[in-house]
Amino acid sequence: MSGDALVAADVRKVYRPRNASPVEALSGVSLSIAEGQRVALLGRNGAGKTTFLRIASTLLAPTSGRVEVFGKDAIASPESVRPFIAVVPQEGKPFFHLTPREQAYTYLRARGFSRGTAKDRTESALAQMGLTEVADRLSITLSGGQRQRVMVATVIATEAPLLFLDEPTIGMDPFARREVWESLRNLTRKGSTLLLTTHYLDEAETLSQRVYIIDRGKLLAAGTAEELKQSMGGTLRVSVTGGRAILPELGTFGPTVQDGESVHVVTDPSRVQELLALAMRAKLPATVGPVSLEEAFLRVVGRSIDDES
Amino acid sequence: MNREATLVDRFRSRWSGAGAFAATELRVQMHEGLAIAVSVTVQVIFLVFVSVLARSYLPYTLVGAVLYSAFQTGQRVQNEAAFIRIDHKLHELYHASPLTPEAYFLGLATGVGIAYMLPIVVLFVAAVVIVPLGVSATLVLAGLLGLTWVFVSSIGYTFSTLFHDMRVIWPYATLFYNLFGVLPPVFYPLWLFPAYLQPLALVLPSSGATALAERAAGILSLSAGQVELALASLVTLSAAAFLFALYWARRQVREG
Repeated sequence: MSGDALVAADVRKVYRPRNASPVEALSGVSLSIAEGQRVALLGRNGAGKTTFLRIASTLLAPTSGRVEVFGKDAIASPESVRPFIAVVPQEGKPFFHLTPREQAYTYLRARGFSRGTAKDRTESALAQMGLTEVADRLSITLSGGQRQRVMVATVIATEAPLLFLDEPTIGMDPFARREVWESLRNLTRKGSTLLLTTHYLDEAETLSQRVYIIDRGKLLAAGTAEELKQSMGGTLRVSVTGGRAILPELGTFGPTVQDGESVHVVTDPSRVQELLALAMRAKLPATVGPVSLEEAFLRVVGRSIDDES
Repeated sequence: MNREATLVDRFRSRWSGAGAFAATELRVQMHEGLAIAVSVTVQVIFLVFVSVLARSYLPYTLVGAVLYSAFQTGQRVQNEAAFIRIDHKLHELYHASPLTPEAYFLGLATGVGIAYMLPIVVLFVAAVVIVPLGVSATLVLAGLLGLTWVFVSSIGYTFSTLFHDMRVIWPYATLFYNLFGVLPPVFYPLWLFPAYLQPLALVLPSSGATALAERAAGILSLSAGQVELALASLVTLSAAAFLFALYWARRQVREG
């Protein structure tokens, strides 16, 4: 029977910059992640995702609260936790003057792996990340996406029991992102636990078994992507561009979410025709699609995930 | 027996990985052969100037060039540690791992130190031949090189954590290493320095180590008190800087 890989209770973080007012980055975040789970912290830029991940991975001290990793106190004795974790830092880059093969291998050696194990795991991780062809090129010559894949390969090669990945697929093309997702799924099949931060809705939906939506330092919703979508109260989304002009009428069809000029209406299939007719009468363009995590996010947070304001 | 095993285990858990990380750093640095080669440019220029303008001072300049080269490795450690942290954010990869912050610091300093050893060895051999240095003087110079490396690597690593922008580090580093490495009597003999400032020069690790090396080579006279002052200062400052760097590395591993 598996237990919890990570338990966080009432974690707060207040940054106190010089010559500026204190900023509360986390306001009492509590969550738990079962062993072997893939969990995503989904939020806009500045929502508090990275702050939480850095606290949980022993890189940042919280202002208050408790974090346990496999039952060990990550706040009081971080050194007891570090052998069990590995981190892909946000915007981390491999050593420019090492090749991907050297990067992954030397990192495993520094973590204490034997030469043989380090070599085998390096080759396997490079293959999983599609880096074999560039394995002997200096990282400085690689594209941004390839460098990010080197970072992910370096960390997945550890097969650490708990992996923290801060925006792991940023800068990658869609094919590379899918390769990363598949590798991460393989890792959890082997027993590792993953906590990743992302602002890609598809990444959270496709990869994660549980999603936490975070905004302004607070956890606002949690559940599987399906649960979050079902909480919208319908299965179809009708998006009406310029729909604010007829918002009261649209509201009679189901929950509405405003996204800039558009209004998304979540409704049942039986009412879609009627709703489209209403939009046509108002001469407003409308599209229909399944309810996605985007609507759930908009509903919970009140703003688009791409909203930088 | 158990107690011994515990101490060995604790030592191992604290320092294991330092060698592997030093090897990592060495690989990184060895890709920058040109940077290593030009690291002794200032020393070579001074040697050329002195050999042209005042050839009799060449032994002093040569011994100083060897120790200044070791002194300069602190700047390399400082820049590398800062670059890894600020530009690459790789320190987080290593800090959230079994590699202890102490092993990270020592591995980084050792890797950089070994990489920049090659030009130092060339100058060292030149000093042994030209000054010339006997066996005991050679050993003394090697020991002083080691102590200087410990001091500057520790200072360099500690300084590296105080900055958030590489562009701010460069001018401060240049100022520090020139102020304490070139200005005091490192490339010229102690007795050319104002008499009232000579105790200060002996206390500084760069000029103090140089004076001790020149005394061992038989080209500088120092009183017993001056030897004690220079040696005590170098050993104390090196030990203090190293211990503080270990403490600081552990403290800095998790931001407040």
